[in-house]
Amino acid sequence: MSERRPFHRPQPRDWWARPPYLAYTLRELSGVAVALYAAILLAGLVCLWRGPEAFGVYRRVLASDWSLLVHLGLLAGVLWHVVTWFQILPKTMPKLILRGQPVPPRQVTTIALLLALVCSTGLLVVVIAIGALS
Amino acid sequence: MSDVPHPSKSIDLRVLRYRPAFDQEPVFVSYRVAYSDDMSVLQALQSIKDTQDGSLSFRWSCRMAVCGSCGMMINGAPKLACNTFVRDLGPNAVTIEPLQNFPIERDLVVTVGDFVRKIESIYPYIIPKVPKPVEDGAYLQTPAQMAAYESFSDCINCMLCYAACPQFGANPDFIGPGAMAMLQRYNGDSRDGGRQLRLDQIHGEDGVWSCTAVGICSDVCPKQVDPANAVNQNKTNSALDFFLHALRPGERS
Repeated sequence: MSERRPFHRPQPRDWWARPPYLAYTLRELSGVAVALYAAILLAGLVCLWRGPEAFGVYRRVLASDWSLLVHLGLLAGVLWHVVTWFQILPKTMPKLILRGQPVPPRQVTTIALLLALVCSTGLLVVVIAIGALS
Repeated sequence: MSDVPHPSKSIDLRVLRYRPAFDQEPVFVSYRVAYSDDMSVLQALQSIKDTQDGSLSFRWSCRMAVCGSCGMMINGAPKLACNTFVRDLGPNAVTIEPLQNFPIERDLVVTVGDFVRKIESIYPYIIPKVPKPVEDGAYLQTPAQMAAYESFSDCINCMLCYAACPQFGANPDFIGPGAMAMLQRYNGDSRDGGRQLRLDQIHGEDGVWSCTAVGICSDVCPKQVDPANAVNQNKTNSALDFFLHALRPGERS
């Protein structure tokens, strides 16, 4: 007679809070910072559409101490999201083959991060230039 | 002679044991093992079986990280017992458990039937695009064509990636990283024509879409297969196939 009685061991409920999974949890959570920042920008657009008075209120709210604090927190979250997003990028795209050799994942991450840095800096320069000229 | 191992140190191994005839549930049993610097965890388990308890059960075969039999949780992480050294684990007691997310048959032996069925489901062999008799010679392939799938062909079916995958832990029907690496090994092969057959197997929640790109499956892989890449590039393929299937000739929605 078979003595088979497979035992099913559930995975721990708090797996997401334990290393190495914690890094994944933080990466996904930092997406909330991106969404919040997008919502703040959207609120600015809505205020702009409603008129100069509403946009003035929006600008005053942005200049407050707690708003600066929130923005610092959001900046940290967004930066973390950018770095970890590009770290996972090589895992989510087709293999790049150059001259018969696969491009190492770390190289893909570095190039994508540099590209993001150049684009962000360029955008910042354009915005500052437009601000100075207007 | 200097190359003969001299066990000079000892360490406690806490092994999760489950004997279905006696135990209601798995229990930890501690064994003190003498070890030398070149002793693997597999050798430590063999020494327990030889000298302390002959009933301890675990799978092993090649002892050189090729057969994929000796996967187990060592200090909570999925590893091959044959290429994990005891010297790197001390000085505290080392915890050894069967692979996470699989039913335990006995001690460190887990049920592999579901995994084998998943591998079988994705047609793990080349389905030639054009049948070619042997006398017409070999199918030719450029180094670039081979590089497209070669790393995926290194999979040894050790199931460490499944033990590391929390989504497989939550949904045992998820096809999982190992079978997807195998799928990509054939779908990425320039000689193969079975892409559509395999894509039809991986749509939906139990296909690629249970994956949330945790990525630890690739980190624990002992052969650097990068199964997370296989799963995630097939999310794109699956989505494209979903949108394009109506355009294919002879296809009804």
